[in-house]
Amino acid sequence: MPGDPPGTLPRTRPRTGPRTGPGRAAGAAPRHGGAGSAPRRRGNGLFVLACLLPALVLFALFMVVPTVNVFRMSFYTWSGFSPDMRFVGLDNFTALLDDAQFVRAFQNTVALLVVVTVVTMGMGLFLAAIMTRQRLRGRTLYRFVLYVPSVLSVVVIAAIFSAVFDQENGLINGTLRALSLDGLRQVWLGDQDLVLWSVAIAMVWQSLGYYMVLYMSGMASIPEDVYEASALDGASPGRQFFAITLPLIWQNLRTTLTFFVMSAVNLSFVLVRAMTGGGPDGSSEVLLSYMYKQAYTNSSYGYGMAIGVVIFAFSFLVSLLVSRATRREPLQF
Amino acid sequence: MRRSLVLAGAAITALGLLTGCAAEGDGQGAGKTTLSVAALEGGYGRDMYTKVIQAYESAHPDVDVQLQISKSIEDEITPNMKAGRFPDVVVLGQGRKAALTETLIKDKALEDLTPVLQAKVPGEDKTVGDKLIEGIVGNLNTNPYGDGKTYTMPMYYAPTGLFYNKGLLDKKGWKVPATWDEMFELGETAKKDGIALFTYPTAGYLDSYFFSLLADVGGEQFYTDVMTYKQGVWQTPQARQALDLTARLLKYAAPTTVGYANEQDFTKNQQSVLDNEALFMPNGTWIVGEMADAPRADGFAWGLTPLPAVTEGGKRYITTSVESVWVPAAARNKDAAKNFVAYLYSDEAAKIFAASDAIQPIEGVAGSLSEENAEFYKVYDDPSVAALVGGFASTAPVKGVDIKATLFDTANSIISGDKTLDQWQAALNGASEKLRQAGG
Repeated sequence: MPGDPPGTLPRTRPRTGPRTGPGRAAGAAPRHGGAGSAPRRRGNGLFVLACLLPALVLFALFMVVPTVNVFRMSFYTWSGFSPDMRFVGLDNFTALLDDAQFVRAFQNTVALLVVVTVVTMGMGLFLAAIMTRQRLRGRTLYRFVLYVPSVLSVVVIAAIFSAVFDQENGLINGTLRALSLDGLRQVWLGDQDLVLWSVAIAMVWQSLGYYMVLYMSGMASIPEDVYEASALDGASPGRQFFAITLPLIWQNLRTTLTFFVMSAVNLSFVLVRAMTGGGPDGSSEVLLSYMYKQAYTNSSYGYGMAIGVVIFAFSFLVSLLVSRATRREPLQF
Repeated sequence: MRRSLVLAGAAITALGLLTGCAAEGDGQGAGKTTLSVAALEGGYGRDMYTKVIQAYESAHPDVDVQLQISKSIEDEITPNMKAGRFPDVVVLGQGRKAALTETLIKDKALEDLTPVLQAKVPGEDKTVGDKLIEGIVGNLNTNPYGDGKTYTMPMYYAPTGLFYNKGLLDKKGWKVPATWDEMFELGETAKKDGIALFTYPTAGYLDSYFFSLLADVGGEQFYTDVMTYKQGVWQTPQARQALDLTARLLKYAAPTTVGYANEQDFTKNQQSVLDNEALFMPNGTWIVGEMADAPRADGFAWGLTPLPAVTEGGKRYITTSVESVWVPAAARNKDAAKNFVAYLYSDEAAKIFAASDAIQPIEGVAGSLSEENAEFYKVYDDPSVAALVGGFASTAPVKGVDIKATLFDTANSIISGDKTLDQWQAALNGASEKLRQAGG
């Protein structure tokens, strides 16, 4: 309807006169000083640009260029050092489809992503709710204890879990033996069906405290009177959690979900490298550790970069899907 | 005008910041050659390098040797190498996880060191080639392309084989098995005492085991065929026999082996030998230093034996690990580098290295060994035992194919029953064929 808006404007404001036109009519006539403000704003823009430039140059040089390079290198065959790079088009990607070890690494990554996300998020929310809503004795201490693992370096965590999972005198098997539950003892890092879940346990242990604290801060900002009002209406703590807490920290949850995707991909790599080295016989290999092996140990840099591109696309896609699937109208209190 | 000045100023500052990161002094003093040497800090320590370099510098006042040494030397030199700044001399063997030496071999990025063999050792009358013990150069380890040219010089050598507790065998009155039949008999006997016949730190340690076994089963030619990916080599009866023997041996593996066979826990597998829970494990002479502080059973003493012979009185091979020194083709001071490499084989340098138990393949050096070490080097005295050097031939990189992983890591799956012998053989055949097609 092109004729409609221009037709209405002059009619509603007939007194401004035909000379000023409908555009000027909306805002009052330009004031005197206004004439200089436009160039000054432009000057500010230049100054801001100049201030931003170093950061932008650094960002471009250390973030954009390497990322573009990953994509470019994935079309080449290159060992990493030699001057001869050969363009092979999509060969690296088609080879991925036939690579059973890659498929296994992909499956492992997805499994870790799903399990670690669900468990960490569930437990994190549960603990955060208990810590903020129930006036637990010594909750500062619990919070501290649960948060400590996020500060530890991964190598320390690997050493801790090497002691926890030890098949002879480890914490788990030792406890099971003490309880006369010898039948339940497992070779946690040696059983090909179990090793991935052992890594998952370590990942959950590492990240639980961090997300718990994030959720707690979100929950702490919910006004107390909302809970009081609902309590007067007879809502149980469970009902309060699902009807008040969860909707009000929804935006918080969405953000952490994206963190989960990235941290699961990255953390699984460092933990696998320090704890199992991808073994036994490749059964705990994840995408990044396989990429590292191919790019460096197997001198197939281009192929490694193709795996890198897959990881990039996969993380991007999962984050996008998660963000789309969890989109809600933000609630305010 | 002023604004554009500000802008230009900011841009220059930003660029200055960046170039500041990249700029580096050339290091070229007045008339002095700066030789950069990178070395892996292995079990022998770092002192011996500092001493050798001191001795070299005092004989060559015009050369300034810069030493870079680290336990993960690959991580430290590769970023510069990717930017085109190569060290002049690198002391680093094959078989490391980062596989830097292998990568440069695959890339044909090493300098031909054949002239060094013919060069006189600085300050001596003999050539480097004359001083080296026989058979140490000319194999796939030093001449990776099999074209008669030497690209990596052998630096230190050490026997690898089955390590065991001599004290335990003496106490029980068990004989070190000379044939596989005796080996399995001993396995049954030991089982009754609750001792496992075999374990390995991680599956990767099976390299020396497999190389020896392949040569034991099929002779040197067969070994070379496997290492150079001859067509169908893994479908031969000899290959099947080697895998069969291994699968039988793995049945006797300590139950804890696989669970501890990772970077974090492998010392626990080694500990099981010290604790008399397992009898034999494949390893190298560094094990003595590595486990020096570990608790051990009474009367423990390290012993080293080659693999049992396949047939009685058959020839046995002992895989010899050889660390290498090489010069990158892109090094700046190649002549000085070659001179330095030649110097590493001088009596003066050899003495310093030997003091740290780093034994170079120079005639007569093994005589200056400490007692425990001399014991290990005695395996070479047995006339039925021959040294075996080398490893898989290098090919152009093949995506997703790592024959070492296929050969060694599968042992974990054989023990746990996740894979069968047939699957193992088929996977090896497939990997070998792909590498053969990639060519040397």
